Amino acid sequence: MSVEFKFIGKRTPRKDAEAKVTGTLKYTYDLEVPGMLIGRIVRSPYAFADIRRIDISEAIRMGAVVITPSDIPQKPYNPRLVSINEVTYKDTYILTYKPRYLGEPVAAVAASNEELAQKAAESVKIEFERIYKPILDPLEAMKPESPRIHEKILRGDKWIEVENNIAARLDYDEGDVDRGFEEADVVIERTFKTGKRYHMQLEPKAVLVIPEPGGKLTIYTTTQTIHNTRILISQLFDIPESRINVVRVPIGGSFGSSIQTNYLVPIAVALALKAKKPVKIAYTREEDILDHSNFVFHFKIKIGTRKDGVFTAAEFTNILDVGAHQVQPYPLLGTSLGWFVSMYKWKNIRYRGIAVYTNKVPGCALRGYGAPEVQWAVETIVDEIAEKLGIDPVDLRLRNYVGRGEIFWGQGPTVRSVIRSDGVPELLLKGREIIHWNERGNPREKKGRFRRGIGVGRGFHTSGAGGPISGEVIDYTGCILKLNEDGTLDYITALQDHGGGTLDAHVKIIAEELEVPPELINITTASTETTPYDVCTHASRGTYVGGECARRAAQIVKQRILEVALRIIGKAVNPEALRIGYDEGLRQAVVYVEGTDIKLTLAEIARISWQRNWGTIGAFVSYRATSAPPSFTVYYVEVEVDTWTGIVRPLRVIAGADVGTPINPDMVEGQLHGGFAMAWGMAFTENTAYDPVTGEIMGRGLITDYKIPTAADVPIPEEFTIIIAKTYEPTGPFGAKGLGEAAMNPAVAAILNAVYNAIGIRFYELPVTPDKVIEALKERGELEW
Amino acid sequence: MMYTIPEDIEFIIPGDLKETLVLMSKLSDVKVLAGGTDLVVDLKTGRFKPKYVIYIGGLRELEYIRDIDGALHIGALTTIQEILDSKIIAEKTPLLRAAAEKFAYWQIRNIATIGGNLCNASPAADTAPPLLVYDAIIKAESVRGSRLIPIREFFKGPRQTALEQDELVTEIIIPYKGLENSSHSYFKIGRRRGHDISLIAIACAVRVERGIISDVRLALNSVAPIPIRALSVEKALIGKKPSIEIIDESSKLVVHDISPIDDVRAPAEYRQYMAKLLTREALLEVLKKHSGDVK
Amino acid sequence: MKVKFTLNGKPVELDVNPRETLINTLRLRLRIKSVKRGCERGECGACTVLINGNPVVSCILLTIQVNGAEISTIEGLTGDILFEKLVKNFIESGAVQCGFCTPGILLTAYAGIKQGKIRNSEDAKEYVSNLCRCTGYVKIIEAIAKTASEVWSYERRV
Repeated sequence: MSVEFKFIGKRTPRKDAEAKVTGTLKYTYDLEVPGMLIGRIVRSPYAFADIRRIDISEAIRMGAVVITPSDIPQKPYNPRLVSINEVTYKDTYILTYKPRYLGEPVAAVAASNEELAQKAAESVKIEFERIYKPILDPLEAMKPESPRIHEKILRGDKWIEVENNIAARLDYDEGDVDRGFEEADVVIERTFKTGKRYHMQLEPKAVLVIPEPGGKLTIYTTTQTIHNTRILISQLFDIPESRINVVRVPIGGSFGSSIQTNYLVPIAVALALKAKKPVKIAYTREEDILDHSNFVFHFKIKIGTRKDGVFTAAEFTNILDVGAHQVQPYPLLGTSLGWFVSMYKWKNIRYRGIAVYTNKVPGCALRGYGAPEVQWAVETIVDEIAEKLGIDPVDLRLRNYVGRGEIFWGQGPTVRSVIRSDGVPELLLKGREIIHWNERGNPREKKGRFRRGIGVGRGFHTSGAGGPISGEVIDYTGCILKLNEDGTLDYITALQDHGGGTLDAHVKIIAEELEVPPELINITTASTETTPYDVCTHASRGTYVGGECARRAAQIVKQRILEVALRIIGKAVNPEALRIGYDEGLRQAVVYVEGTDIKLTLAEIARISWQRNWGTIGAFVSYRATSAPPSFTVYYVEVEVDTWTGIVRPLRVIAGADVGTPINPDMVEGQLHGGFAMAWGMAFTENTAYDPVTGEIMGRGLITDYKIPTAADVPIPEEFTIIIAKTYEPTGPFGAKGLGEAAMNPAVAAILNAVYNAIGIRFYELPVTPDKVIEALKERGELEW
Repeated sequence: MMYTIPEDIEFIIPGDLKETLVLMSKLSDVKVLAGGTDLVVDLKTGRFKPKYVIYIGGLRELEYIRDIDGALHIGALTTIQEILDSKIIAEKTPLLRAAAEKFAYWQIRNIATIGGNLCNASPAADTAPPLLVYDAIIKAESVRGSRLIPIREFFKGPRQTALEQDELVTEIIIPYKGLENSSHSYFKIGRRRGHDISLIAIACAVRVERGIISDVRLALNSVAPIPIRALSVEKALIGKKPSIEIIDESSKLVVHDISPIDDVRAPAEYRQYMAKLLTREALLEVLKKHSGDVK
Repeated sequence: MKVKFTLNGKPVELDVNPRETLINTLRLRLRIKSVKRGCERGECGACTVLINGNPVVSCILLTIQVNGAEISTIEGLTGDILFEKLVKNFIESGAVQCGFCTPGILLTAYAGIKQGKIRNSEDAKEYVSNLCRCTGYVKIIEAIAKTASEVWSYERRV
């Protein structure tokens, strides 16, 4: 559908760009208040231990404020409140005597400056009752003879026993899988394993808690959800929500690391309550790596197919290495299944998902929440099937993918919708042309030191977690839109912009609906006490859910404006003849009656309404989406493998995105560029390795050894081509869908499929470091060295 | 984990070189701070806990590049970026420039010094392979006078040098006379194409006269406790006629000169394999420049 | 220990603990918040400042090391023609996302273009090694290359 928009789809400067380029924008890290104390966390030096005693006498002598587990209500909690209570597994304590990963917070201090606080923290002496050998392998953890990392945890409000270190399970069956395999002409089974990636968002987590006069608490923190942060603190400390205000602060990237309330927040609250003074805690980078990272995924996938390329059955076993605490691996078992099911029409499905505890940093969502991993595995196998059957990999995908008219599982079994917009054929076919797919050659015929290959990866992500029925996931949002007395507007929402321009997209949507230019719409500051509830800016729901909410608010405001205009005009005007339009000359919205001279600017309407005591024109909307449509993405990547060093470099990238209507085109492009870079790191370099004896992150956690791509590692701008599909999502604001995660999801597969096309070797374990490439080439007898 | 420099370290800023040497003769348990790109991090993480840190970064008299009598004299406090930007180094000692180009990244190069890189004596020291190839000489000064330490005797172990406690490296001397007719090559491998600590790097210079290899020098880092010269390879090549076969055979001999370890960055096998490969590559690259000489 | 330097053109005189890093002096004493703490290991470049026109990482520099130097941060570059050009191109290209890496990258790019080290996108990739997790660098490189070509357009690289 081709629509001409006035504001949507135009490239405009971000509203916060000026503050960012002048350095005046303050992140949590930069905030200061007079009289504030700096907090430092005392961390367990052992990965699996029970503490007998914590001696804080020296710290107290230094004048620091100190808290230990004895000072904190021992209520197990889960820092992520996106799932409903009944399926929320709680095994975390604000401070604990039973650390289960190296670096887990066991005590905390606050002092007037960071140095003093650090000295006080270092003076704390911990006596251990028992130290266990850390368990770092989930299969090891599940053995009956392995010690239990947790014994009893809460599921909702019920205590449950943990058996064999299994944190959660999810099984699913559809159809008759065994018969499906019997009917298959070809069956392929593969196992996959990922590394343990880290978000490496540039801003380390931080929090500032201010006790206000009168007993309120104000909290500033790096978060993707101010409301869930408030609710959590309210629950943990038994403080009514009306006495806690969490303020939205700009965040230096997140990628899923602050969907949950980060561990330093309740610790800072506890310190502030004890000290009765503001407390700020800011992580060092090493501490940030100890706060969150991704899960390790172990997959076993078996696919059956007929020789004409129609799939008949799929079996998917998913072992999730959770780390020491749950930040909701249970829904991840569900979303992994959902991504899998929504990739292709498998017909018969068997899924066994187990999440297992290990003594590592707790895993949490990392951009895609299982999708990059699942799509990597599936797209690898589909490529193998195509080769085996002699069918073109692109055609095989077109034949089997779940597309328009079919059911999409956005985020797992309880979130399903019918797909209404689908740009896959356009993207696959256009991209295929541009990259000269048919000339990519056969890996077996490629020789020499430098070998080139082209690979394809197709995937998607959901746009939020809306649905017709309420399930296990909370997903709704709200906003306020009001007309100011001079005709400008204030837009108030709790949604957060991690950097992708979400709120600027909302402004354009409001502008389009109201015919008001974006420069007259203000994105206000926001806090929990001034905004309606929004669950969290994640799951790529910012534009699709938040944007639609904004549009509805704009619709209501438009209606009211017309009512007021009618009142002002006074004459016998037919209400249906009133129009609102954008006047380019005046750079304003104007209410007019066609065929007459009657014209009122929005500024006039607002001013008159004010002067005549007619009240505020505004809207308060709370909105839940009834579906969660997929945004499809397709990557074609050309790489060059140096078979002598094992180092790969990207030559060309074609990134295709079906986002429905692109609201901010430069932000859409930015997401694809960033998604590709992240995928490159996932494929080749990113992993936090653990010392098998101590359970400590190797390299002391310094990022010298956690390599993410630099500008030198990505292709030159001329070689990164972006195709936006011409689709329109009827359930989205002006046809828009999300992109944040879809921008990355299938890229890893495309990259590694390209490596296969270059050297004829498939890799089933990430990251594919240079030595692994050399090892594989050696095994094939290729290297004389 | 929070890393701060311990409180009980005393910092001293001497006014000139003489004062520095006097201090170094009087005090023990001293670390010398130049650019600090290694030392400041090491002090923060507790790798070193000296009693004194003497900051010499302000001694401008140690920052220079001079061409004297067929040798370049480089002041120890010359930054890596200055080395990279220097025309005379590009002309006379191009291997050093090649290493400077691949040294970390711009923000680090503007601070890091050649003296600091050598005295830090990491097995991965980037300036070491070129200096080993050039048989550079390190000038060390103390109140007792000065002495010249050939670079092959300078590195004693990981983070250990031949310096006495009271000695300060003030100059690096690189004789380039006699190298005019040599061809050279340099490779550095990291984990990604962007900047990285060296997984392995090699510098190579070869001279072919009358169809015979008359001089060959190869040096590698990150494959042994100290940066090394690949003497087994050199011995096998000297006096021979350059050919692909001889290069293939002799580069395999590098395994006798190295002892790589497994670490978080790469396994030992990969380093061993890369050492052989890069040795061969470096030699082939150099001999390409004598094209016609390689059969 | 006493140190004297100029910060964004203004003279500063301080008495600092020798162990104090430049980033802490700038952020905590002098309240320059545009200099960001990203890793304190010299790896990410978010703390980049210009010392005598050259970009350096301030997290591993001790303040005593900058005695007598001229320090610039982006606060001091407003009004500078080249900087304004660079900033304009950044905003128009969409090279700013979360913004945390932006000050460091702007300073590095500014210095690189000014010194003639960055004249096109290849140079930009080589000289701008700051880490960014959001943008994937493409628009950053475009904005820098565009600015560089505007400045150096009359000179051709051989």
